[in-house]
Amino acid sequence: MNTLVVKARVFKNCGHLFRLMTGNGHVTTGATPIGQFVQLVKRTVAHDPLFTNQALKGEVTQWKQYASGHTYFSLRDEDGQMSAVIWKGKCFIDPNIKEGTEVVVLATLDVYVKRGNIQLVVQRIEPVNLLGELEKTKRKLLESLRREGELDRQRHPVPFVPQHIAIVTGAGSAALADMHRLIENRWPGLRRTVIGVLVQGQRAPEEIVRALAVTRMLADPNIAEQRGQPPVDLVIVGRGGGAPEDLWAFNLEPVARAILASPVPVVSAVGHESDVLVSDLVADVRASTPSDAIERVVPSLNELQFFLDELEERMTVASRRQLTDCQQRLAVLQSRLRVAPLAGINRARTELMSLGSRMERSARQLFNIQSTRLARYESSLAAVHPQRVLERGYSMTQDAKGTVLTSIEGLQTGQDIFLHFADGTADATVVKTKQMRRNDD
Amino acid sequence: MTKEQPTYTQAVLRLETIVSTLERGGMGLDETLKLYEEGAALLTICKAELSTAEGKLNELQLNTIEAALESDAQ
Repeated sequence: MNTLVVKARVFKNCGHLFRLMTGNGHVTTGATPIGQFVQLVKRTVAHDPLFTNQALKGEVTQWKQYASGHTYFSLRDEDGQMSAVIWKGKCFIDPNIKEGTEVVVLATLDVYVKRGNIQLVVQRIEPVNLLGELEKTKRKLLESLRREGELDRQRHPVPFVPQHIAIVTGAGSAALADMHRLIENRWPGLRRTVIGVLVQGQRAPEEIVRALAVTRMLADPNIAEQRGQPPVDLVIVGRGGGAPEDLWAFNLEPVARAILASPVPVVSAVGHESDVLVSDLVADVRASTPSDAIERVVPSLNELQFFLDELEERMTVASRRQLTDCQQRLAVLQSRLRVAPLAGINRARTELMSLGSRMERSARQLFNIQSTRLARYESSLAAVHPQRVLERGYSMTQDAKGTVLTSIEGLQTGQDIFLHFADGTADATVVKTKQMRRNDD
Repeated sequence: MTKEQPTYTQAVLRLETIVSTLERGGMGLDETLKLYEEGAALLTICKAELSTAEGKLNELQLNTIEAALESDAQ
């Protein structure tokens, strides 16, 4: 289609030239030298944005790389073709490009005046199957990293408050501006060193690797001391989002190895949504964007200060309550101590009273038992009282000394004796004694 | 033996434990005062830590910083 547009434009301009030449009838004398004409064509196409920086797709034919460093080829498809040139060193040429390779070029139309040829001057060329190739390489790299155990390695813990962050990203990029803005929101004046690198294109991997080497040096306590800064304790490497091939540096082995070699935690902060990059898998922290990286690793100073204030407040309140508790416990003890002796006396008194009443009760019981027993004895005694015997007709004899006489032995004739009856006494004199023979004698 | 200064994270963790212990209560005067003193010291450390993180912003191109590091090394 571009070829057709080119043709239309050239014919239109040629028509204009023809009118200039034939307008006054001096066709032969006024004829323009062909060289001038071709120059005019060249100038015309060179200034037309339609022919500048066009992305064109086609198949490579007549691929020739000259010793001069220039490369010539034709770009063709079924409908047309055009010569193309890549000037020496103008762009990286993938070594896989050869005859028949499908490529996309970024090119500007030019006219080779000497031969009047229209040709494409190529600023960038990439095989269409590049991404496929890259994917294969990426898979291989991931496999070998997995075999080496690098994907399951112990990650460096991220410092709670980074003292010095190194940021490896595109200098002056929107991603960097976002990071600065977020850092200033979260932790105004947080110490950071930004190392500006190319984050896409052929030189990007090498620059990222070199920048990571610089961060390793900045993380060295000795070097940091020499520079009068705290050592770098966190590295963020990343860029904003882009087409998969633009992010490819972060899928390359040298970059992955440089991340793995870091003595301090590395955050992979490449803006992308779908595909996981190798840098994401080897880094200590994976962030989805550079802003996300900041939110993950830079705490909010306000939040922390608020948190500390809160802790301080809680500690003061709790301590004060503890002290009050201690005082209250002391006061309780004091009052208990004051009443303790009284309580002791009261208890003793109560005990004494209870003992007294118990004693009284048991004494009374004992007395009652004794009284009953005495009464019984009394009635028994009453039954055998001598008076009862005397009342039945017996009498009791006593001598003058009052001794009760139970035998006649020792009784003298003429001895005074006293006979006691139930109702009185009779004085008597022994007239005669007569001993009774006893049955057992 | 001198005790090494705790990191911010360690200090905050210990501080949280102290606050929870104090809030749970039930300890004596001695222990309360000891814990309070320790907590206050940790708070000072944490607050100091928050202020040391502030510093300069260096924004350098790769070549410039490489050259600076090289000249430092010589």
